[in-house]
Amino acid sequence: KRFYSLKVAPKVASSATAAKVKLSPESQDLEITKLPNGLVIASLENFSPTSRIGVFIKTGSRYETTSNLGTAHLLRLASNLTTKGASSFRITRGIEAVGGSLSVHATREKMAYSVECLRDYVDTVMEYLLNVTTAPEFRPWEVAELQPKLKVDKAVAFQNPQVGVLENLHAAAYKNALANPLYCPDYRVGKITSEQLHHFVQNNFTSSRMALVGIGIKHSTLKQVAEQFLNIRSGSGAPGAKAVYRGGEIRKQTGDSLVHAAIVTEGALVGSPEANAFSVLQYVLGAGPLVKRGSNVTSKLTQGVAKATSQPFDVSAFNVNYSDSGLFGIYTISQAPNAGEVIKAALNQVKAVAQGGVTDADVTTAKNQLKANYLMSVETSKGLLNEIGSESLVSGTHTSPSVVAQKIDSVATADVVNAAKKFISGKKSMAAAGDLGNTPFLDEL
Amino acid sequence: AGGGRMIDRLRKWYYNAAGFNKLGLMRDDTLHEDDDVKEALKRLPEHLYNERVFRIKRALDLSLKHQILPKDQWVKYEEDHHYLEPYLKEVIRERQEREAWNKK
Repeated sequence: KRFYSLKVAPKVASSATAAKVKLSPESQDLEITKLPNGLVIASLENFSPTSRIGVFIKTGSRYETTSNLGTAHLLRLASNLTTKGASSFRITRGIEAVGGSLSVHATREKMAYSVECLRDYVDTVMEYLLNVTTAPEFRPWEVAELQPKLKVDKAVAFQNPQVGVLENLHAAAYKNALANPLYCPDYRVGKITSEQLHHFVQNNFTSSRMALVGIGIKHSTLKQVAEQFLNIRSGSGAPGAKAVYRGGEIRKQTGDSLVHAAIVTEGALVGSPEANAFSVLQYVLGAGPLVKRGSNVTSKLTQGVAKATSQPFDVSAFNVNYSDSGLFGIYTISQAPNAGEVIKAALNQVKAVAQGGVTDADVTTAKNQLKANYLMSVETSKGLLNEIGSESLVSGTHTSPSVVAQKIDSVATADVVNAAKKFISGKKSMAAAGDLGNTPFLDEL
Repeated sequence: AGGGRMIDRLRKWYYNAAGFNKLGLMRDDTLHEDDDVKEALKRLPEHLYNERVFRIKRALDLSLKHQILPKDQWVKYEEDHHYLEPYLKEVIRERQEREAWNKK
């Protein structure tokens, strides 16, 4: 026997009767409970080695008023400040010591504090999470030290021109609430006080507006924790103002040779029947490239605009849903000299769809893309936690992925055409940034 | 109870004998400024810090003139607030926590 050749290595006979090793016990179903004080608890025990727990709160920049703009942004950055139960140092070191992580994610309407760690250390990180969300102290000197971070955070975010355009878009489209910027305005940096932060937390972090969601943890554990610790502030807190759509335009003239422009009308609310129609329309028109660095040939918008110009450009449909409003439209990135042609060509494409220029095959393709996108986003525990949390906040229930897929399938081609008609006929808002010499105004479109 | 009152009287006698109240200073104005005290001073609310600066300035002025305040303006033992104490305690607690963690 030669010991050095793979060819004569002794063959191992695989035993056909070896017991099948299960990687983990079957994942249990998602359990969801609503406590009498309004807190929603949802948990999915999937026996994974890591646990991810999030506290979702129905608050965000829309609940600010003009006197306390930027509070939500600072709150986002303040998650590691001293709390009643643990000092800032201890929170940081404690979470590091068990290999966990604490992060905050905030949109205009919701804030999500989430921790993830190995299953065995859930108690430790849960304690820090609860401290941070229910008992922050906002010591004046810590808050003062934090204010320069607002500038850094903003600078990093605004490196991407889209962030600026979307902030302006919301400011142009709404009169209040949703018009508030996600990032602290410059004049407020250094002026946000500890009292304002306290006030914001007292008025917004109430039990009936919170949801405690866990993946990889038992429902009974979460329920116990919630009943014991998350019971501090009851009531519904300060109500937010109802978002009023106004339809305006904001143009930011910079020297940039690439013009970013977004044109939208009022879209659908989260969970409304039109929401799915708008989502499907978004994918019919083209919602971003599916092949990385590809030429996005299948998108209707891209095809339409490609006929109008040979310069590099990018165009996609823009769709966002909030609890009492939504925005739907197009987002274009074009060279400054032919920004006008690109925008007009994109709008003409949507007009074509509104006049019925969409086949059933197109709609089916779009539905498949939308379903795939949704299902892929809930595959990761982060995406799943986000999805469960958001839905718990809005309705206190959970729609399983198969039901979501069914709802998407039930959108008819006529619904898609109607959604497009709504866009064409609705009052539009526009935000543009770049060298705007050749960019048309709203009334020229 | 009697023992307690004795200690109080001793404390009051010592306070007056120490003499800084004749310059209009409070106990916490006279603390030696080591790192902990410096950090606690950074955390003082503005009005307390301004009052402290005023008292120290006034005491320096008196000391250079080799004078003391008139007797009715001396700081009384009962009125001497240990304003820095809570901040100082917190700073020391945090430092000890950090040292305990780093030893682990």
